[in-house]
Amino acid sequence: MPSTTKTALIQYSMTVGFSAMEGRGFYYPSDTAIGKDGRFYVVNRSLETVDRGVRVTMCDIDSEYYGTFGSYGEEDGQFVWASGAATDSQGRVYVTDEYLHRVSVFDSEGKFLWKWGTSGSGTGEMDGPSGITIDGDDNVYVSDTHNNRIQKFASDGEHLHTFGSEHLDLPWGLTVAPSGDVYVADWGNDRIHRFSPSGEPLATYGGSGRGDGQLQRPASVAVDANGYVYVADWGNERVQVFDPDGGFVIKARGEATLSKWAENFLKINGEEADARSRANLEPVIDFDPDDPHEESSHIEKLFWSPMSVKLDFSGKLYVTESNRHRIQVFQTAG
Amino acid sequence: MQEQDTKLIAHLLRRAGFGATQDELAAYAAQGYDATVEELLEPTDPRWMGDFMARRFHHEQSGMMGPWGSGDNWLYRMITTSAPLHEKITLLWHGIFATGYPKVIHGKMLSNQIRMFRRYGLGNFKTLLSELARDPAMIVWLDNYDNHKDAINENFGRELLELFSMGVGNYSEDHIKDASRAFTGWTIGNTEYMVLRSERDSDWPYGRISWHFDYQADDHDDGEKEFLGKKGRFDGEDIVDIICEQESTARFIARHLYHFFVADEPPVPAWPYTPPRDPAAIDTLAKAYFDGDYNISYMLRVLFNSDFFKAENIRYEKVKSPAEFVAGVLRLTGEFDRPRREIMDRGRQMLYMGQHLNNPPSVEGWRQGTDWLDTGSLVERINFASEQIGDLNRPGVKAMVDNISAGNGDHLSSSRLVELCLEQMGDISVSDSSREILVSYAEQTDGSPQGVAGVLRLLAATEEFQRA
Repeated sequence: MPSTTKTALIQYSMTVGFSAMEGRGFYYPSDTAIGKDGRFYVVNRSLETVDRGVRVTMCDIDSEYYGTFGSYGEEDGQFVWASGAATDSQGRVYVTDEYLHRVSVFDSEGKFLWKWGTSGSGTGEMDGPSGITIDGDDNVYVSDTHNNRIQKFASDGEHLHTFGSEHLDLPWGLTVAPSGDVYVADWGNDRIHRFSPSGEPLATYGGSGRGDGQLQRPASVAVDANGYVYVADWGNERVQVFDPDGGFVIKARGEATLSKWAENFLKINGEEADARSRANLEPVIDFDPDDPHEESSHIEKLFWSPMSVKLDFSGKLYVTESNRHRIQVFQTAG
Repeated sequence: MQEQDTKLIAHLLRRAGFGATQDELAAYAAQGYDATVEELLEPTDPRWMGDFMARRFHHEQSGMMGPWGSGDNWLYRMITTSAPLHEKITLLWHGIFATGYPKVIHGKMLSNQIRMFRRYGLGNFKTLLSELARDPAMIVWLDNYDNHKDAINENFGRELLELFSMGVGNYSEDHIKDASRAFTGWTIGNTEYMVLRSERDSDWPYGRISWHFDYQADDHDDGEKEFLGKKGRFDGEDIVDIICEQESTARFIARHLYHFFVADEPPVPAWPYTPPRDPAAIDTLAKAYFDGDYNISYMLRVLFNSDFFKAENIRYEKVKSPAEFVAGVLRLTGEFDRPRREIMDRGRQMLYMGQHLNNPPSVEGWRQGTDWLDTGSLVERINFASEQIGDLNRPGVKAMVDNISAGNGDHLSSSRLVELCLEQMGDISVSDSSREILVSYAEQTDGSPQGVAGVLRLLAATEEFQRA
C-alpha cells in the first residue's frame, strides 16, 4: 500500500468535454471507455430521435478529436438508449443499449463488427443491459439491469456464466479489479457489491445515506492496483473513495475548469465570455440541504450526474458527468 | 357501500384525480367519501415512481435542457402518483400562471416552477403568489429582471393583477405602475449572463445553469406607493398582502376552482362581463377563501363537500384536458410500471391533442372546456385511447379483462359484459345511446380476451370517456 495522504489520493487535474448535440463534444454522456493509446470512447445518450446526437465520441486527454460513430436507430451500429462502454485487448469497443437489449462491438476506429443480445430473462437474454467491463482474457461482464444480475459472455457473445441475482437490485456500472474480483454498483441497494471471479459474493461497501462512506444510487465503480475503490455516488452527486476493507477515505464534489473546447467556444463568442467573466459562478444560495442535485444544477464546477468512473493505466480517474457533458480528470495515488 | 356512494367517489376521483381503476375505487369506497376527500387533500403516504428512477433512464429528465424533459417527468408523476390532487392543482396553477419554454428556454427552471406549484399549490394563496413573484422562470417570462428603479417594466405587475389574482376591472393603470415599482429589484442572480444565454439558447460550455432569485436592494424603488386604497413604501410582499385581502381576488380564485373542478365557465377574458354559471357556489367558495385564511385546501374541502359538486347534473360536464386524458388512460393501462422510452411518444400525444405542457399558447394559458375539442383533436383522443386501452399487452388492460372474465366464462350477456367494462374503467356511467352502441358491439364479440378488450376499446371512444 502506498504511503499517501488522503488529499493526495485524488487530485483534480483537468476537464475534457463540451456540450454539443453532434460531432465534437458530448451530450448526456453516460460512460467513457479508455482504449488503445489512451483514446477515449465517450458514449452519448443524447436526446432520443436526434439522429447524429446518439453517438460515441472519440477523443483523448489532450482534447484531440477523432470523430464519432453510431447514430440513433435500430440498425447495426446504431443505438437508442446507449449506456455503457468497454474495450478489449484488441482495442475493440463494446457498447450496451438498454432499449435494444444488446451489445454492439466496433473496431478501434468505430467500424461496426458484430452484436449480440435478445430481450428476455432467460440465460443469455438481457433486459436493459447497462454497465459493461472486460477482463484480461476478453471475457465480457454485463449488468443485466432489469433482470437484477450479471452475465458473463465470451467476446463473441457466447454465454458463460450468470451471477448476482440474489443480491442485486438494478445493477449499473461494474468493473473487474486487478485481483480478478468483480465489483458492481448495486444501484437500487445503495452499495457496491464485490464478487469473486466465479460470482461468489465477498463483500459490500456503502449503504444508504448521505454521510461519509454512505451511498445513494451508485452508478459506477473502479478499483486500483492497491484495492482502493472509487465510486460514482450518483444520487449524492459526488465521488467517494473506499480503502480495500471498505473504510471511507475521501469524497469529492467536483472542481471543473474550462476544457480546451470550452475555452475555444468562449474565445469565439466574446459576448458570452464577457458576461461570464462578470458572473459569480459560485453564488451563495439557500439550498435545500437534502438536494445535492439542485445544488449541482446551480454551481457549474460541481459534479452533476456523475455516471461513470474509470481508471487508466497511469492512475488517472475519469469522471463522466452526464448533465454537464464533460469528464473531470483526477490523478490518483494508485 | 351504496352504489350511489361509489358513483360519487368515482366522480370525485375524475375531478380531483385522473380517474381510478376498479381496485383503487374499491379501496377509496371502503373508506367512504369524506375520508377520500381528506386523503386526497392530505395524502398519508404520497408515492410515485421517483426522480431517481426517472433520471436513471431518461437523462434529459435529469438535465432538463430542452422543452420536453420537464413535461415527460411530470407525466410520470401524473401516471404513477398516489396523490393525484397534487398533480391536478399543479395543472390548475400551470394553466393560470402559464409560463412557457419559447421565452424561458430552460427546461429545469420550468420544472422547478412546476415543483413549486406542487409544493405550495394546496396551501396559502399568499405564499403561492409570493413564491411566484420570486420564481426565476416567471421573472424571465414576464421580464421582471428588466424592471428597474429608474425604468419600470410593467409586465409582471400587470399580469399579477389581471391574470394571477384579481381580474380585469378591479384596479387602475396607476395601481399597475405602483405594483410594478414595488417589484423593482426582484430579479435572478447573474442576470446579464443568464439572460444572454437564455436569449441565445446557449447550453455551452457545460449545459444549463439553474437560476436563483436575487433581490437587488440598490435597484429597488423604496419610495411611497399608493395601491388599492393604501399608502406606504411598499415592497412586493406588501403588494401580495394587499392583493390577497381583496374580495375580487377571493372571487377570482373561487371562479377558477369552480371552472377547474366543478363545471366549465366561459374563457377567463369573458369573466368581467359574464356572470358565473352558479353565483351561489362562487359566493360559498369566496367565503371559504377568507374563512380559511386564503388556504386553497380549505376552499377545496368546502368545494368537494358541497352539493353543487356532488350534483348529478354536473357529472361528465367537463371535457378532460389532454394532460388529464392521457394521464387517465395511462393509469388504466399500467404501461409505466418502470421507466420506458415510450413515455416520450405518449407525451407527444398531448401535443397532438392541443396541449404541450410548459408551452402554453399565451400568458393566458389554455382555454378549457369544449375548446379542447375540434375534429382533429377528437380523432387524436379517440385513436390514442382506443389503441392503448385495446392493447392486451398492457398489464392494466390485461388485468381489467381478467377481472371481467373471472368466474364468468364465456357466458356473459352482452349487457352484463358492458356493465363490467364500465366498472373496470372507473365505474363510468354512460348515456342510453352510448350503452346501446356498446351492447350492440358486445353482442358481436365472442367473449374472448380480444373480444372483451374490443368493448373496452370502444368504451374509450364514448363521449363520456372524453369527459370527467
